[in-house]
Amino acid sequence: MSEEASELARTTEHRLEELEKGLFTSDLSVNEFLLIKEVGFHPVGFVMGSSIYHTGIQTRKWGQSQELTKLTEAMYNARELAMTRMEEEAAELGADGVVGVRLDVNYYEWGKDAAEFIAVGTAVKAEDGVSRLNKLGKPFTSDLSGQDFWTLLQTGYMPQGLVMGTCVYHIAHRGIGQTLGTTGQNVELPNFTQALYEARELAMTRMQDEATQLGATGIVGVRLEEKTHQWGSHTIEFLSLGTAVSKTSDDITLAKPITIISLDN
Amino acid sequence: MTNPPAAKEPFNLKDEVRRAVASLEMKSTSTHSTTSDLSIDEELNLHSIGWEQVELVSGISVFSVPAGLWNWGQGEIAGASKAHAQAFNHAISRIHKEAADAGGHGVVGVHIERSVHPSHVEVSLLGTAVRPIGASPVKPEEVFVSDLSARDFALLMVAGWQPLGLACGASFVYAPRRQMSAVLQQSSQNIELTNFTEAMYSSRESAMERMQQMAIALKGTGVVQVNVVEGPMPFATHAVGFAAWGTVVRLAKESHQLMHPQMVVSLNDPTAVFDAATLA
Repeated sequence: MSEEASELARTTEHRLEELEKGLFTSDLSVNEFLLIKEVGFHPVGFVMGSSIYHTGIQTRKWGQSQELTKLTEAMYNARELAMTRMEEEAAELGADGVVGVRLDVNYYEWGKDAAEFIAVGTAVKAEDGVSRLNKLGKPFTSDLSGQDFWTLLQTGYMPQGLVMGTCVYHIAHRGIGQTLGTTGQNVELPNFTQALYEARELAMTRMQDEATQLGATGIVGVRLEEKTHQWGSHTIEFLSLGTAVSKTSDDITLAKPITIISLDN
Repeated sequence: MTNPPAAKEPFNLKDEVRRAVASLEMKSTSTHSTTSDLSIDEELNLHSIGWEQVELVSGISVFSVPAGLWNWGQGEIAGASKAHAQAFNHAISRIHKEAADAGGHGVVGVHIERSVHPSHVEVSLLGTAVRPIGASPVKPEEVFVSDLSARDFALLMVAGWQPLGLACGASFVYAPRRQMSAVLQQSSQNIELTNFTEAMYSSRESAMERMQQMAIALKGTGVVQVNVVEGPMPFATHAVGFAAWGTVVRLAKESHQLMHPQMVVSLNDPTAVFDAATLA
């Protein structure tokens, strides 16, 4: 690492020291802040990890559906780098977990095929001093909002980690013969259907594998995103993201929700 | 407000500006009429904790950035970072003064608009001054400014916390250029661009550190609702910037008051919205 990098390390240490002395920063809204206090957690700091990553090039066959492993790897590695850096910051602060994690990919003008992968969230610590680290001894991460976090804890579940799976897939173009043959008819396009199915399955399976590693009993709030990024119309990234949870306490009394009619618009 | 000049008279910008500046200097004398951009709901929220709105207040500052800073150099672009901090501080002290002149104890629901240009930094703040009902004016330095909505402000006060002011930090940093040979070699590989990552990190660390320093100076114990804007500057290929701001808070009562929220199910149907696009 260069001289600048060691200078950076010193600034970071200083910033984190201030946070340890009792000042907290968080991107939580007031609602979320109050709800997190409500379930016995206190925010300790706004944490972030980022990585600017250059994705390689992989040739695609015009008429063949296939996973583009090199691109999948790039998307995965870059996100993992950002997430790990965020987790490290949280661990440095002595946090039990990170809530409200957002993962983002930004493309900028300055680099073809270069993108910034960023993970941000608020590190929280249990006020009763009991450790809530996950099975791997790391702070838990979760993309649940403060509201969802409160609600989840009411049911006796605890988030274990943000899990994700990704798959970059190239979907074959149809041949001219095929296109002409089906003009004017109602038909399913099996090659497209199958390709989308397979890509989604791959992404979902990878996400589930991550959850199994954490010893989780379920994944909540799963989102499946499909993006073409900068690869043109037939190459799609399937990204599935969710929070792995496991049951930690059995004695729960779920309040019966009250029905209301809100007079707001 | 003065009426716009009649069409026949030539519009004299200088006079208009002088008049506007003079009106800023005048103490507000009216005690019965108020202006605010709060909704009825927010007003009720304020009244429920014994506060009232006073006046719509603003603070604006445009600060120049020395020419030719953005494209070549090393490390932090100190001129730009400094201009940003100055613009923000000036805007804050102006809104403090306006709020104090109007008799407010604080400003809530502040809209923060900031933009960074190659030659200048602009910061404008607009919010509603508030005070405990009927309270007498305080000094400008005792006023707090917060971008929390009136509703959030009321909720925070009920929970035993008090806002102390805005904290902001920004930093702009050069990302060193990669050598042409490296660019060519790496063009087909998956690789992290360490120069940009490091620059991003360094700007972020300085910016967050500055925000925290401001929070500590205000004797706060926390910063809530931190907003972050980050990324390369659109007008310079090798400069990245990071800005963060939020409301500094402190526990005012002895302990945090729990809210005990109840779960509710709203029986409202989602409102159907019709517009031209849905009919097409």
